[in-house]
Amino acid sequence: MRYCEQCKVQLTGAPDRCPLCQGPLAGEPGEPSYPQVPPQPSRLAIRWAALVTVAAGAVCGVVNLSVPSSGLWCLFVIAGLATTWLLLWVALRKRGSPTKVILWQLGLVCALSLLWDVCTGFHGWSVNFVLPIFIPCMQLAIAVTAKILRLRKEEYLFYLVLSIAAGLLPLLSLVCGLLQVVYPSGICGGISVIGLAALVLFRGSELKEEVVRRVHF
Amino acid sequence: MNDKTPLPWWTLDNAAKIFPSTGSSHDSKVFRIFCELKEDVEPQDLQKALDKTVERFPMFRSVLKRGWFWYYLEDSVLPVKAEPETLPPCWPLYPSGRRSLLFRVQYFRRRISLEVYHVLTDGTGALEFMRTLVSEYLLLRDPAAFPKPEFPQADSQWQRQADGFQKYYEKSRGKRLAPEPSAYQIRGQRLPKNRMAVLEGSVPLADALACARGRGATLTELMTALLLRAIHEGMRVRDERKPVVITVPVNLRSYFPSQSSRNFFAIIRVGYDFRNRDGSLEDVLAQVREQFKANLTQERMAAQMNALCALEHNIPIRLVPLPIKDVVLRAANYLSSRGATASFSNVGKVAMPKGSESFIKKFGVFTCAGCLQACVCSFGDDYTVSFASPYRSREVERVFFRQLVDLGLQVTVTSNLLPNGEVD
Repeated sequence: MRYCEQCKVQLTGAPDRCPLCQGPLAGEPGEPSYPQVPPQPSRLAIRWAALVTVAAGAVCGVVNLSVPSSGLWCLFVIAGLATTWLLLWVALRKRGSPTKVILWQLGLVCALSLLWDVCTGFHGWSVNFVLPIFIPCMQLAIAVTAKILRLRKEEYLFYLVLSIAAGLLPLLSLVCGLLQVVYPSGICGGISVIGLAALVLFRGSELKEEVVRRVHF
Repeated sequence: MNDKTPLPWWTLDNAAKIFPSTGSSHDSKVFRIFCELKEDVEPQDLQKALDKTVERFPMFRSVLKRGWFWYYLEDSVLPVKAEPETLPPCWPLYPSGRRSLLFRVQYFRRRISLEVYHVLTDGTGALEFMRTLVSEYLLLRDPAAFPKPEFPQADSQWQRQADGFQKYYEKSRGKRLAPEPSAYQIRGQRLPKNRMAVLEGSVPLADALACARGRGATLTELMTALLLRAIHEGMRVRDERKPVVITVPVNLRSYFPSQSSRNFFAIIRVGYDFRNRDGSLEDVLAQVREQFKANLTQERMAAQMNALCALEHNIPIRLVPLPIKDVVLRAANYLSSRGATASFSNVGKVAMPKGSESFIKKFGVFTCAGCLQACVCSFGDDYTVSFASPYRSREVERVFFRQLVDLGLQVTVTSNLLPNGEVD
């Protein structure tokens, strides 16, 4: 055991100096009580990727500004990079639960495509095609992920039902006469109605329990 | 358990509700209880003991999940593993949304460490788990010599899972929580990478008790007074306009009978105004005793508990979506943390079967928080005060231990610092 003359305390382990007064110690060192912990990972890859993205945006901005006659195309590049990073960031944050990641991607892709459409003159491609095609794909993705990873119902049932509920939105828009193209939204709605009916009929009580625990207040 | 049987789930207790929203990497809300044995830990036996212990405490298997309005705990079938210690003390246990256990058991040489996320339980609940784990382990190591333990028994698993706050909450009108006046905040650089410096000081319990009784105080009161004075040493004169305030968690089980192994504690505040008083040990101790006496009454505890629970039962508050609750609770936590300088927590005497002193050297406890924290527990004739500090400076600890030496106590210090005094 070591001893600090200044503080008059005994010290276990093998310190070179007194942890209290930083003074010299007498006596023999002993066994440490704490391990020397290895450094924690610092996520270098993602930092580099972020730097490259910022650089790409900056280069495009500078090039665009030096050739003003070509229009403000750099805004598209920057918005595209931002969209990609938003999707990536959310996926990384929620990575503990794959079905949650899929549901978030569904919501974000729908919202962002609508935003892109509105910002580029609202030609209707988002509501007519992207939403009704993307939503059933994500419904399928949740079901397949749950099957492959053998998830428990607590890990996927709630997200599956939310994705199916999202699939009713294109149908609702169609019925209200907001859409110009019928088939994608009709098929998406049909799939969702059948899926919802199947879930309620076969897993209704489990679904109810799942909703109670998620939405308790 | 097949997929058809629903997994049990539990709402968070009143104290736990604030932790998931306010935790961060420099304030992980994780605390550690460690046990130092007299010989090196045998990993396989520790794993067997851990498996047996978790069977007795099924709630420890639960994971934290986000609902729309509140977080909740859900049972899991995740494997529980005892692992060699490779993480810094009190490293966060709830990495964003991942389905992971809320406690970990690690070992290093002669030490077994249990780290628990505060959402799961408080010091008393975790200590019960630790006592069972260590008893099971020692029973496996040396069945002939280790005294057969009486495992901490609740009347039933339901008693253990019960929420003490819900049981004793009474709706009362007009008693709102008053905002706390701001307290002195310790200054100084923080350690890099959210690390913590742990300093454990062990003193002989009998001598320490004699010191406290000689002054007509309890050991907790004496230590609180010493901590107040140690913090004062590092204060600038102009800082003295604010009082030094120490928060002391109180185990509510002593006031309201409960066998819950979940959170069941309240917090009292003990302050001292160094500007208008002389700061001598006698005066600080007298003030501390007075405040302990005034605060530690059944009525005060009930009032505090009811005021906190009333917030949780308020319908409009309940209907606020969780992401907004997160932001509001974080702000409330920041404001209330301005009202405290440091924290002193007494986990109490660790009761183990007679004769286990020949296997166990000591127990200790410390916790991670944004500010300086001191925790104590005792085992046999060992009384260990552990400081966990996010600051670079060790002055508060140095002055605290010097005061113990001046009282005539023999202090043995252990730390997690590297031989050169750095964290890594």
